[in-house]
Amino acid sequence: MTTPSPTILIVEDDPEISRLVADFMRREGFEVACAANGKDMDALLQRLRPDILILDLMLPGEDGLSICRRMRAADTIPILMLTAKSDEIDRVVGLEMGADDYLVKPFGPRELLARVRAILRRANGTPARPAARRYAFDRFVVDLDSRSVELIDADSAPPQLTSAEFDLLGCFVLRPRRVLTRDQILDWTRGRSAEPFDRTVDMLISRLRRKLEATSPGSNLITTVRNGGYLFTAAVKQVS
Amino acid sequence: MLRLTLATRLTLIVVVGFAAIAIILMTLFYVTSRREKEVARPSPARLAALATLIEQTPLDGRALVLDAVSSPQFAVRVGRADRGGEGGAQLAELRDAYAVALAGRAVEVTVPRATPNPRFPRVARLLAANALEFRIALQTGETLVVDARTAVPLTRLGLPVGFGAGLFGTIVALLALLVMQLETRPLARLAAAVDRVDLSTAAPLLPQARRSAPEIRAVISAFNRLQGRLSEMLRARMTLIGGIAHDVRTFATRLRLRVEQIPDPAEQQRAIADIDDMIRLLDDALLSSRAGAGGLSQEMVEIATLVRAEVDDRSAQGEAVDVTLEPSFTDAIVLGDRLALRRVLANVVDNAIKYGRVAHLRLSLGRDKVVVTVDDEGPGIPADRRDAMLEPFNRLEASRNRATGGAGLGLAVARSLVEAHGGTIEISTAPAGGARVMIELPVFRAS
Repeated sequence: MTTPSPTILIVEDDPEISRLVADFMRREGFEVACAANGKDMDALLQRLRPDILILDLMLPGEDGLSICRRMRAADTIPILMLTAKSDEIDRVVGLEMGADDYLVKPFGPRELLARVRAILRRANGTPARPAARRYAFDRFVVDLDSRSVELIDADSAPPQLTSAEFDLLGCFVLRPRRVLTRDQILDWTRGRSAEPFDRTVDMLISRLRRKLEATSPGSNLITTVRNGGYLFTAAVKQVS
Repeated sequence: MLRLTLATRLTLIVVVGFAAIAIILMTLFYVTSRREKEVARPSPARLAALATLIEQTPLDGRALVLDAVSSPQFAVRVGRADRGGEGGAQLAELRDAYAVALAGRAVEVTVPRATPNPRFPRVARLLAANALEFRIALQTGETLVVDARTAVPLTRLGLPVGFGAGLFGTIVALLALLVMQLETRPLARLAAAVDRVDLSTAAPLLPQARRSAPEIRAVISAFNRLQGRLSEMLRARMTLIGGIAHDVRTFATRLRLRVEQIPDPAEQQRAIADIDDMIRLLDDALLSSRAGAGGLSQEMVEIATLVRAEVDDRSAQGEAVDVTLEPSFTDAIVLGDRLALRRVLANVVDNAIKYGRVAHLRLSLGRDKVVVTVDDEGPGIPADRRDAMLEPFNRLEASRNRATGGAGLGLAVARSLVEAHGGTIEISTAPAGGARVMIELPVFRAS
């Protein structure tokens, strides 16, 4: 072998799992480094450049989702997520996080090896995807990075949304066809538009609903669900 | 059974009580007033003595005698032989009794015509019914007229004494009923509020009605304390189960990684299967505890896609699973937790394959509900065991032998998940004789 063996960085808080995975991967010819949390990982990244990151979702301190988001924004290192909760999977690989793959605990080492090899093969061919956050639904295309709304068929003007309305729409587009409570919406949109009252959410939603309805009549995109929640009924597709 | 509200019950108690009192009083009144009538009726001897006295008294002394014997209940006057009121059959009988004592004097007993009372004619008639008029033909050729009546005291308004008090009492009683209704209303509101309590969220406490009775306020605050304790307990339980699940999963992961070192491949496969079963049991417990605590998510789930995914996964593993969509079936959407619904399907299909070799799934659409039917070709489940099968840790064979099946949680978990979605699950018999599990879920329609 003339090429240097690929390096794996494992970020996992359970030392036994770390050791067992590391031993196995070393036997398979990988260089392996282990970190127990986000801080250790940052320290290791100062002096070594791994080819792949194996990242546990549940970590003490900064959790896996947040590390994944941070790494995606700064770097192109492929990420394999380890999750305990199967209901987190769609958030991990889905619209939000852009992890390259995932494994649900407990997993077999052979399965892990297969996934790691597959990711490395993909990563060698093309640079990691630039994660365009453009989503299409109904007649609309929303670009969360450029914060713009366009129409698929350009025969009328797209709706003019305020910043708060756009944040709200972004929140719906990332979690389509799922009942969101007022509290959740408040949680996910707060920070940028710091309006603390939940009546504000109701008002924002009715304004957004009116603007979407005006552009696409009869689409009924945002529904109010019995006992307190809102539902974005359109199917959302990620587009490039 | 007739369900009566507290207010209705109290009202009934009061009304029945009053009715009983009224009946007793009326009975007493009738008994006593009949006696009074007899008392009011002058004795024949008295009338005979009076007649004799008037006949013997010289004309100038008569006025004195009349004044002396007269009273409001016994008015005596002497008049000409004219006729007064009308006599009835009963009065004729009375007259015969008097005629004997009056020694041959002609006597008429009549009910006098009512003295008109312009304001309360009914009262006047009532008083008149009580009166008797005796007309006795004196030997002097004159007529002795005696008006005997029971005294009914009247107020200044011309109404019997006590009528006002009764009226006042009735008004007070009606007001009391109204107030009672108002007082029991907080209880109805409390019940409605308790029904709305959702323990999974930071519970909004029940509103304390400021004007209600101390007892009701005590009940409301007791409920609030209970609610606080319950949601605290529920939260603690969820935390505990979550913690256990996380730790067990960590141990299972280590174990799964260590299993690679078992040299015998058959033994290794068995160990892996054990770990998988263990994790599944854990997931089941976690899901159903979340379902009980309202912790399931709600998303629009296309039920046909979900069923097909399950069938495809099973078929890929070589299991005998097929699905039929009834022609009427359109893309039905259920609002629920995708994972939970998938788990329901997985558990029911698992059971069918384990005990009935194959699973035939069928999707149909009822009114506002989607029906998933899973039939197998096994021996079926006896009718008396079907409900028990939906309870935790109940399996058809009594031995808790893991070699022939799971812990007996599968259908119980399915039931708790289906019910958390507002649906129903029931076991019956498939047309071919095997067991049939029918799951009904409400269809979601965006309004």
